[in-house]
Amino acid sequence: MKTLKILTIAVVGAVIIAIVSGMLKTQERPDLFAQRPVPHKENKKKTSKKEKVNTLKGYSIGDAATDFSLKNIDGKIVSLKNYENAKGFMVIFTCNHCPYSAAYEDRIIELDKKYKNLGYPVIAINPNNPEEYPSDSFDEMKVRAKQKGFTFPYLVDAGQKIHPQYGATKTPHAFLLKKEGNQNIVKYIGAIDDNYHDKNAVKNNYLEDAVQSLISGEKIAVTTSTAIGCRIK
Amino acid sequence: MRRLLIIFTLFIICTACDNRPVATVTTIGQDGLRETVLPGDKIKVINFWATWCAPCVEELPYFESISSSYLREVDMIFISLDNKNNIQSVVNPFLKKNEIKSTVLLLDDPYAAEWIPIVDQHWDGAIPVTLIISKNKKQFYNKALSKVDLENAIKEFL
Repeated sequence: MKTLKILTIAVVGAVIIAIVSGMLKTQERPDLFAQRPVPHKENKKKTSKKEKVNTLKGYSIGDAATDFSLKNIDGKIVSLKNYENAKGFMVIFTCNHCPYSAAYEDRIIELDKKYKNLGYPVIAINPNNPEEYPSDSFDEMKVRAKQKGFTFPYLVDAGQKIHPQYGATKTPHAFLLKKEGNQNIVKYIGAIDDNYHDKNAVKNNYLEDAVQSLISGEKIAVTTSTAIGCRIK
Repeated sequence: MRRLLIIFTLFIICTACDNRPVATVTTIGQDGLRETVLPGDKIKVINFWATWCAPCVEELPYFESISSSYLREVDMIFISLDNKNNIQSVVNPFLKKNEIKSTVLLLDDPYAAEWIPIVDQHWDGAIPVTLIISKNKKQFYNKALSKVDLENAIKEFL
């Protein structure tokens, strides 16, 4: 009986301590990390369909890439066929929310400035569903492009129809295309370079080396690489 | 009376089931990663994540809850890809808030193309991903997992 009393007191005491310490913890703290996303009801239904699309293999080197008509942040529709003087394209799937994408923004601008005049402009496509990532909305894309001074189109993959065809699974994910007749042939797939963190410590400039090889008519040494990135959702 | 006593005792024992302290981050490099993905005595469940990655943050509680139900069988290891400079300001506070008690490592190496194949040759480089390894089996999941998915995956190793 006595043991029971002691036990009861111990348990009640523990519960009170737990509640009080729980209350103390609730002081407001700014959250610096991602909040658990609220699943969108309509989205849930769509996911099964989307997964099927994602199982498409995507392009391999030498495949002809599809053209598209996607809306740019200035409201105009952009297609590869509109670039009559281009020799090819650096199609880069990127977005606002992903830290890896953000780390590459300046490098993408540099690549565009350097190679646009040599016939290989950058075409950036945001493949994410803004309901999954609100900071990847059309309005936020405009804001980010203005802040950073994007020199290239920043397109919305509305309905997420283009990225599965390319086989883009993450941001950033680069595809180098070369015009051959009426087709755009895939020449390189993968990372922009091998160090997202520090561009001065890059060992392999995969994408730029591939463009250089195309321009000088040489064989591309590395045609695919694995890039770290944020899964497209 | 005796029954009450038993219930109380059970209650106390159960609240102490998972008495591990909240985790703090340990930084590793490529060598540490190589060691981590080697099979151990228990089944290893290795999850790559980051605090800014919404689908990762969504699945983390499933992993943590399964980790405490399979403490004897499973070694749960979370490998964060957050920036090293954010350990004190973001990652550790996140672990505290979400009461993550499993092992948490942070891979501090920007040469992703070098270490991605160490984890699995099928990894496309997107997170989240999960690797389950035992002495004679290895399974790689190149996607986010639901609680049921994860539990079923682990059961295949038990």
